[in-house]
Amino acid sequence: MASSDQIAALILSTKSLSVSPTWLNAFLSSGTAPRNVPASALAKTATFRLLTSDIRESLSKHRSCVLPTNVTDPNAQELRLHGPIPVQVLDIEDIGTSLWSQIEAIERVERGEAIRGREIVRTIAVGEDPEVSENNRSNNNNAAASGNSGSGPHRLMIQDAAGTVATGIEMQRIEGIALERLAIGAKLLLRNPTVARGMVLLTPESVTVLGGKIEALDKSWREGRKARLLEKTSSLEG
Amino acid sequence: MARKILCVAEKPAIARAVATHLSGGSFQTHAIRGNQYVKNYEFDFNFGGAWGNCSVTMTSVLGHLTGLDFDRQYKGWLSCPPGSLFEAPVQEAVDKDKLPIAENIRNQARYSKALFIWTDCDREGEHIGSEVRNQAKAGNARIEIKRAKFSNTESAHVRRAALQPVDLDEYQANAVAARIELDLRIGAAFTRLQTLQLQTVVAALKEKVISYGSCQFPTLGFVVDRYLRVQNFKPETFWGIKVIISREGKKVNFLWKRVHLFDRAVVTMMLERCLVAKQAKVTKVNQKPTSKWRPLPLTTVDLQMMGSRFLRLDSQTIMKVAEALYTKGYISYPRTETDQFDKAIDLKKLVEKQYPDSSWGQYAKDLVDGKFRTPRWGRHNDKAHPPIHPVSWVSPNQLNANEKKVYEFVVRRFLACCSDDAKGQSTEIEIQYGEEMFHANGLMVLERNYLDVYVYDKWESSQQLPNFERGELFEPTEANIFEGKTTAPNYLTEPELIGLMDANGIGTDATMAEHIAKIKEREYVATNQRGSGRSSVQELIPTRLGIALVEGYDNVVTGLPNSVSLSKPFLRKEMELRMLEICSGTKTRQEVVQQSLDMYREVFIHTQRRINMLKTACRKYLVEEAAS
Repeated sequence: MASSDQIAALILSTKSLSVSPTWLNAFLSSGTAPRNVPASALAKTATFRLLTSDIRESLSKHRSCVLPTNVTDPNAQELRLHGPIPVQVLDIEDIGTSLWSQIEAIERVERGEAIRGREIVRTIAVGEDPEVSENNRSNNNNAAASGNSGSGPHRLMIQDAAGTVATGIEMQRIEGIALERLAIGAKLLLRNPTVARGMVLLTPESVTVLGGKIEALDKSWREGRKARLLEKTSSLEG
Repeated sequence: MARKILCVAEKPAIARAVATHLSGGSFQTHAIRGNQYVKNYEFDFNFGGAWGNCSVTMTSVLGHLTGLDFDRQYKGWLSCPPGSLFEAPVQEAVDKDKLPIAENIRNQARYSKALFIWTDCDREGEHIGSEVRNQAKAGNARIEIKRAKFSNTESAHVRRAALQPVDLDEYQANAVAARIELDLRIGAAFTRLQTLQLQTVVAALKEKVISYGSCQFPTLGFVVDRYLRVQNFKPETFWGIKVIISREGKKVNFLWKRVHLFDRAVVTMMLERCLVAKQAKVTKVNQKPTSKWRPLPLTTVDLQMMGSRFLRLDSQTIMKVAEALYTKGYISYPRTETDQFDKAIDLKKLVEKQYPDSSWGQYAKDLVDGKFRTPRWGRHNDKAHPPIHPVSWVSPNQLNANEKKVYEFVVRRFLACCSDDAKGQSTEIEIQYGEEMFHANGLMVLERNYLDVYVYDKWESSQQLPNFERGELFEPTEANIFEGKTTAPNYLTEPELIGLMDANGIGTDATMAEHIAKIKEREYVATNQRGSGRSSVQELIPTRLGIALVEGYDNVVTGLPNSVSLSKPFLRKEMELRMLEICSGTKTRQEVVQQSLDMYREVFIHTQRRINMLKTACRKYLVEEAAS
């Protein structure tokens, strides 16, 4: 049978993740890990478990793979972090879309209007020829038409293996970061990202989306999302 | 004179117009017994072919001749459980006030070889035609039945229609018969149920009939939905970055590609990173020809939407005025879904007719002298009528104020359709500043073309942009954060409501205006003026009763899988799609009636079981809120 060192090395080389030896040993001896399989297959199973685990338990807390403590310092104009740092997503918000329209979108789904054939058209541009507006959008698009299509940029709450929580801002569109696609507890790998004013700047170059989720966190996050949005809108009023 | 032909139009004015054209102006007018509006016009006309020269009696009905109602024992409100109206026997009978008209047709048919039906060429017209046929057959079982196909009352068109009659379209007549039966059964069942139940709950409803219509409720649903969206709305603050560049004595605003974000700290950080970068780089300079397309040929929905927007008339008024213009022979039939001009229509000839006009006559001449373009081809064709267009020119002093407005709109729209697109040159400049993208757009209108006649569209040159070169580096003059607030949507206006009904597939173009008028008349919706003067619009606001009904019906189906509220468009939309299947011959009238009744019966049963939901909603809005 493959040794735990061998498995840890494999995971490090394929996913750049430093596994906690304690967690790995527990996994290997738990009996849930299949016996008599090649190390590579075992490493795959372990990786899969890792992605659904809490990284505070499953990954190494070594200095080189956690966020520095000044990552949240708003006085630091710019920092550059080093090395691949794994983090897990605790929260995701769309800061390009108003809370209210996000609430309305949730309510549309609740009313069953997201089902095919049950959609309702609720707004219409009077006097706008649909074909013409398509034509003009590509020609002379104005501010309202471009950019903001209701998906991002996103603001993430991320946590490293040591439990440090930081804010991540999606500076450029990143495949896999979207409200419906990114689960709570999903793992990201940060590669030498820039930090500005206490925010980790996320770009396609500095982020690899590993995926995964923490089931319990994700479930309660989704169930509580509308209530949280509503609470936020009511707290906005002065 | 051996042969006699009976012609029957849908309205007296059409009968008179057709009689005038076919007779060349010389006909005899006879009153009929028992009705002061309907007249018989007698003259001779050569129908050609097998018919040859015939003596003609041209008369009319006044819309539908018959009505459908339940048998006597079901008529009393307490005579039966409302649910039994889904199956109770119904009878078709000539309306009491139409009896003399029906008798006139039977009498005239007795001596006639053939009946030519001249009802309007749409679904309702086809059904009215079938009612006329039934009366004529009752008077003369052997009478031959023909139908004139026409879409305007211009002289040559009418004469051609008389020479080339077709057969009545039974499918269309059946679709209307199905719709009438469904409206009666569903309308009566729900009206009785909700009226009887709600009267007991709220004193204010004691004497009131709370009527239900399968099209009016989803129409009301749209008004309530928007009202609640406005009421519940919470404004939010957003921030953005604005970059200003002064060059060649011009100040140009560059707009942020992200438009704005709802996180101030993030925007501040982004701006700082721009400022740190100091220099911006021009990433794109794009100059290209652009155009603003001329409008599509005019449909009824568009006439109602644009009309109520630009002419400040409500949709029902617009349709009445358009009907009058059609009856007088100035415009084509105003109920059409078609936005394609058939290749066979000589459009230039129609343009030429507008030469005498002092406002757009010269424009029409210029079109015929070389600027004419074939109109755009839309996506709709009802296979019955062309798009709405002017048929002949009329001097403005022969029209009243509203007629003038609608006629002018129809003509200008038509001339615009036959014109070239407006042409211009657009410039787009994009810069990267730090990690952020900004852009500025310029437009220069070069040829106005259709805009010269279609005064309702606006397209104007913007400020001219100074020169930028691709790849050029420069330091922006200013970069700032701006702040703004989201604003609530506006209450629904009538043109928007028509657009929503159309987009969601409820109401035919011909009936939309009536449904809107109905929900106002029944006091489910009131209108309110927003703004003043020329920019004012009429907003639709639901009454407390209107909100209570929608909320009540929504609650009735809450939590029931696959059940949709009567305030939503789906049930009605499905019913209307089935009407189309009758028209195309893929479903029979009986099948459609059964299927649609089953669909509504299910909701009816839920409503009966959970009637407390409706009662609670009425109490909430009509008692508690009214008191507070």
